[in-house]
Amino acid sequence: MGTISLKNISKSFGSTQVLNNLNVDINDGEFLTLVGPSGCGKSTLLRIIAGLEQQTSGDVLIDNKNVNRVRASERDLAMVFQSYALYPHLTVRKNLETPLRLRDYNAFERLPLIGNFSPSKKEKTESINQLVNKTSETLKISELLDRKPGQLSGGQRQRVALGRAMVREPVAFLMDEPLSNLDAALRVHMRSELSELHNSLKTTFVYVTHDQAEALTMSSRMAVMIDGNLLQLDTPQEVYDNPSSLSVAQFVGSPKINIFKGTSDSSGTVSFLNVNLKRKSSESNTDLHIGIRPEHLEITNESNDNTFSGTVAYRENLGSDIFFHVNIEDGSNKIIVRGLPQFTHQISNGSGVNIKRVSNKALLFNQAGMRVQFNNAMG
Amino acid sequence: MHNSKAHIWFIAPAIILMIIILIFPLFLAGGISFTDYNLGNKTFEWVGLENYDKMFNRKTYVKMIWATATYVIVVVPISVVLGLCAAMLLNSLRFGADIYKTIFFLPVMATLLAMAIAWEFTLHPTLGIVNSFLANGCGGVREFILGFHWLPWVDSQESWYAVACANNMDFPYWLKQKNTAIWTVCFIGIWQAFGFNMVLYLAGLTSIPRELYQAAEMDGAKSTWEQFKLVTWPMLGPTTLFVVTITTIRTFQVFDTIEILTKGGPSKTTYVMMYAIFEKAIQQNLTSIGAAITVVFIGFILVLTFFQRYVIEKRVHY
Repeated sequence: MGTISLKNISKSFGSTQVLNNLNVDINDGEFLTLVGPSGCGKSTLLRIIAGLEQQTSGDVLIDNKNVNRVRASERDLAMVFQSYALYPHLTVRKNLETPLRLRDYNAFERLPLIGNFSPSKKEKTESINQLVNKTSETLKISELLDRKPGQLSGGQRQRVALGRAMVREPVAFLMDEPLSNLDAALRVHMRSELSELHNSLKTTFVYVTHDQAEALTMSSRMAVMIDGNLLQLDTPQEVYDNPSSLSVAQFVGSPKINIFKGTSDSSGTVSFLNVNLKRKSSESNTDLHIGIRPEHLEITNESNDNTFSGTVAYRENLGSDIFFHVNIEDGSNKIIVRGLPQFTHQISNGSGVNIKRVSNKALLFNQAGMRVQFNNAMG
Repeated sequence: MHNSKAHIWFIAPAIILMIIILIFPLFLAGGISFTDYNLGNKTFEWVGLENYDKMFNRKTYVKMIWATATYVIVVVPISVVLGLCAAMLLNSLRFGADIYKTIFFLPVMATLLAMAIAWEFTLHPTLGIVNSFLANGCGGVREFILGFHWLPWVDSQESWYAVACANNMDFPYWLKQKNTAIWTVCFIGIWQAFGFNMVLYLAGLTSIPRELYQAAEMDGAKSTWEQFKLVTWPMLGPTTLFVVTITTIRTFQVFDTIEILTKGGPSKTTYVMMYAIFEKAIQQNLTSIGAAITVVFIGFILVLTFFQRYVIEKRVHY
């Protein structure tokens, strides 16, 4: 079992409030990602779960037991740190053994030399060796066991840190930006490895990251946190398609969502630039933000009352996609449009383009940044 | 390039200076130690190992080696351990650490000459504050605590404190008494050295990443002792090596406390090597025997340094 519940967690450092009354229920076997920009309190929340930090108020429940007064070492969680925090003076094997030694041997057996006289120690040592060998085979670090962390590359250290967490089969894994010290290619590779690991272990993962791509690719659910508040907790697809607020919409998705200023009239018809949306807003007679993701805009040859025009300021070629940074003609907006290379490769910086939107994809937000629904799905 | 001699001109000044200032005196001292040369003499005779023979057979020099060894063996471990403990305590303080740091570091900064004179007054057998403090405490709490009467096996009539009180305040003469002088000097040596070790350890402690302690906690190291064994002590390995080496060399070189407080006495119990070199070579103008002691002294330091370099260093660096 590995359920973790956070009830009304608040945390302040002096007069600075870093976490505001958070409620999260993490299911057994789930891969939950805490994602948000730097300084949003996600690492603090993870450390509160771990017991390395004490919350100002609220309760942490692990497997339905309140652990507010339980020390980190007794919560049976394992943590992977951003800096890996491997013991630099111990070999990889000793690093992996440490959590087992500290838990399985009693105080007498841990004594140097005379500890070896304990009758049960030999048996325990054997089982520790087996576990270490098994873990190192799973992570493919068997040939590194006799090296010290200083002799390993970043990716290898990362695996060892994972191994040290895995070796004793904890209730849940806590990971604090474990991939942020790796180079880009390795980071992408490790994303899939972590997902596979999660599938095979079926243990609860709580994963902190500021990289929304990691959250989208790996998690079963993601919790978007901004400024100490939990804004949305849902599956990655749902968070991406159906953000609850403007900040979530802007944080999730790369390149960023395009935001247009618009208004709704008394009938709820939303208009921005020269375009009217077919769907009616549920809030009439107000100023709105209209969010459209880059992939929901197309470059087109048509010119009608459903398109708008602009000039390409910058062309960002990623091979599979080309992103056009376009200045809209009225000068108010700079937007990003995705184009497919086969249709748009001839468009260069400075050329004028017409842009068409894909219907039914716009998202509405009111002045406070909250989501505004459409009245009917059609149109 | 191949035929140019220019490089010689570049390195020559440094090499010549090094030879004149550092290496030549060493060999000169080594050479003199095999003669009977005294400063001012016009001639000298080679006497072979006679000076060394004296050193290891004459009582004075055997006592010298004993005094030096005792001083080093007592002062180094105690001042290192005390320095580490003080540093760890200060490191855990939330406020007030700066005041403590300053106080503990005072003996290191202060002129040892002035401090030694203060110690001389403090420890004076009749006028000193220590013995008057002890004398006033006869029959009181001080006697109970310092006489170890609280230990079950100490007889309150037979303890050293009770005996001294009974014999007309016959408290130790500290620096003037054969069986206490070296220990008193050691005490002053520790008092003086540990502040410096503490500062070095404080620097070492701040460089240990906090995440390592958190990792240890997550791995199940519950007690402070476990965390000390798993993180603090190994991570301080290089610092400890440095602290021990520096302290050892400094304690070997102890001179000013001895010169002011005991002059090597009583009956040569505090006759440490540095003081012996000074007394023989400078005061008594016995240059050759002074040179021989210097050579032995350098030998000790070299052995220590090599031990540190080749044996211990491999085990503390990672």
